[in-house]
Amino acid sequence: MNNLYQTQEAKILSAKMVSDDTMIFRFYFVDRKLQNQFAFLPGQFMQIGLAGWGECPISICSSPKNSKEYLELAIRNVGVLTEHLHKLKAGDLVQLRGPFGNGFDVDKFKDKPLILIGGGCGFIPLRPLIIDYLAGRLENTILQLFYGCLNEKTLLFKDEHAVWNRHADFDIALEKPSASWKGAKGLVTNLIKENKKITPNSVAVLVGPPKMYKFVIEELKKKKIKDENIYLSLERKMYCGAGVCQHCAIGPYYVCKDGPVFSWDQIKDIPEVI
Amino acid sequence: MNQKELEKIFKFLGRQWQIFAPQLEGDNLAISAVENFAEIDWSGEIPLETWKKFLIPSEERLFVFDSQKSIETLPEIQKNALWGVNVLDLKAITLIDQVFGKDPYYQKRRSNSLLIGYSGGLESDYKKYKVLSHNLEENVLEHLAFDIFIVKLKNGQVKLYSGSRRGQETLDKSGAKDYENIEFAGPVPEKGTDKRMLSLMDKMEKSYGTKIWKDLDKICIACGKCAINCPTCFCFDVVDKSDPKDCSRCRNATTCFYNDFSLVAGGHKELDKVKQKIYFWYAHKFIRIPFEYNLPGCVGCGRCTRVCPVGIKLNDVLAEVGKTKEKKVIVKPIKLKT
Repeated sequence: MNNLYQTQEAKILSAKMVSDDTMIFRFYFVDRKLQNQFAFLPGQFMQIGLAGWGECPISICSSPKNSKEYLELAIRNVGVLTEHLHKLKAGDLVQLRGPFGNGFDVDKFKDKPLILIGGGCGFIPLRPLIIDYLAGRLENTILQLFYGCLNEKTLLFKDEHAVWNRHADFDIALEKPSASWKGAKGLVTNLIKENKKITPNSVAVLVGPPKMYKFVIEELKKKKIKDENIYLSLERKMYCGAGVCQHCAIGPYYVCKDGPVFSWDQIKDIPEVI
Repeated sequence: MNQKELEKIFKFLGRQWQIFAPQLEGDNLAISAVENFAEIDWSGEIPLETWKKFLIPSEERLFVFDSQKSIETLPEIQKNALWGVNVLDLKAITLIDQVFGKDPYYQKRRSNSLLIGYSGGLESDYKKYKVLSHNLEENVLEHLAFDIFIVKLKNGQVKLYSGSRRGQETLDKSGAKDYENIEFAGPVPEKGTDKRMLSLMDKMEKSYGTKIWKDLDKICIACGKCAINCPTCFCFDVVDKSDPKDCSRCRNATTCFYNDFSLVAGGHKELDKVKQKIYFWYAHKFIRIPFEYNLPGCVGCGRCTRVCPVGIKLNDVLAEVGKTKEKKVIVKPIKLKT
């Protein structure tokens, strides 16, 4: 019988800090056959573990097109396991299982302007969509990126911003920037509010803290974007990844199995969902 | 069949299986190992303890580690014959079988457990526990997972049923001839989904924010006793032991009432208030399980009511939830998964 909890050994190809608290790891499965068969969708997540320190769910931030060679996880140092992960370097081994969750159904985004809105480390699962858009694999008319972050130190994927800027509308708002910051100050909500290009036929994908969802959705509704075209990726505590352990339940759904991506239409009536 | 013949079967089973059955220990009806037939309690009362300790233990080792390799550690367990499992507890096991249908650890335990159901045969046995449609319906056995089922008739005679090939083979080997075989027809009765369950599901969704949950917020102390004693509660954590001598990954039972249930790194808790926790518990029984398995998540055994230290009665809570007004729509109705 297939064991859902069975992990696979994965080797770190590279590990580098991408902000002052987040490290991006590139992995490949030690079992090459497994790597060759590995496939995932943007928005799906892996359970990463270390013997003795448990596991935690982390969104995949690389593009599915490279899945046969490697996968990338950007991991913020916030807990005991992540602290241990941050001590690792190229060549070290970790445990992986997955991918889990539904991921983004990009077919539903087709032929519409795509708006990606990320708050803090919520920007991580949006990266595969950006990479795929830039590579021409998404059939969207235009891409607008909105990124809200605390300050320059916590900004992710800085090396890639220039490219993103060339091919998409890319706006950043920092809540508490340094004196030298020339961009927008404040919350990501303001960026949406002030943006004149957002059209009612857009698809919006939101990933970030629950507080951000509430206010951003309000702004998107003012711009007449339909509930079924607003997608959110939710975050919950989870262990099993198959809707059994109960930790990630919301309404009748499990974030690990039925999500993490839900349309606002699907979940808006669930009490305290965001 | 009479008692003597039943005792023969008991003795036959005892040669291959460790038999566990309800027995009186002082005033307490416990589920423990029995050596003598005379020790078995036939009252049909529901023991406070559940049978889940045999199938989903409070701690189960899933893996040991060799560097970062996870080596599966399936349980090495003896063959247990669970004798005298009442209908409501069999309903719970039938549900848990669905939930852990693909779990190798559960399946190993389950395949090493011979399920022997028991009923005093009277509908009234279950009246006091009734929550949903829990009368001993005529075809109830067709929808229960069991190997052997014992019905004690009013005249003192015993009627036996087999509910699986293993049950049949065991009875044949024991020399029992007079038994009826019941084909398992799946957990959901032909008459369809329980109507009270569907109505409750709808009302549960609409009831969040109403007075009942605010009241429970003040009364419930979130001790988790209801969940520990519930035969259909199975929440778990997966945690590692970081002792280098015993480096292993374990599945440990928990309850949604515990403070760390929804706690994530950084300190955020989705379920922070008592009303959120107790609603989550009820939502598992009356929304999520019905939605996923088309079965009630509560078998109506009444254990939660018996153990609650502050006197919360599940039936009273459901009655209040049932009063939820239709027009107060908080959540739109959801459709059952098919």
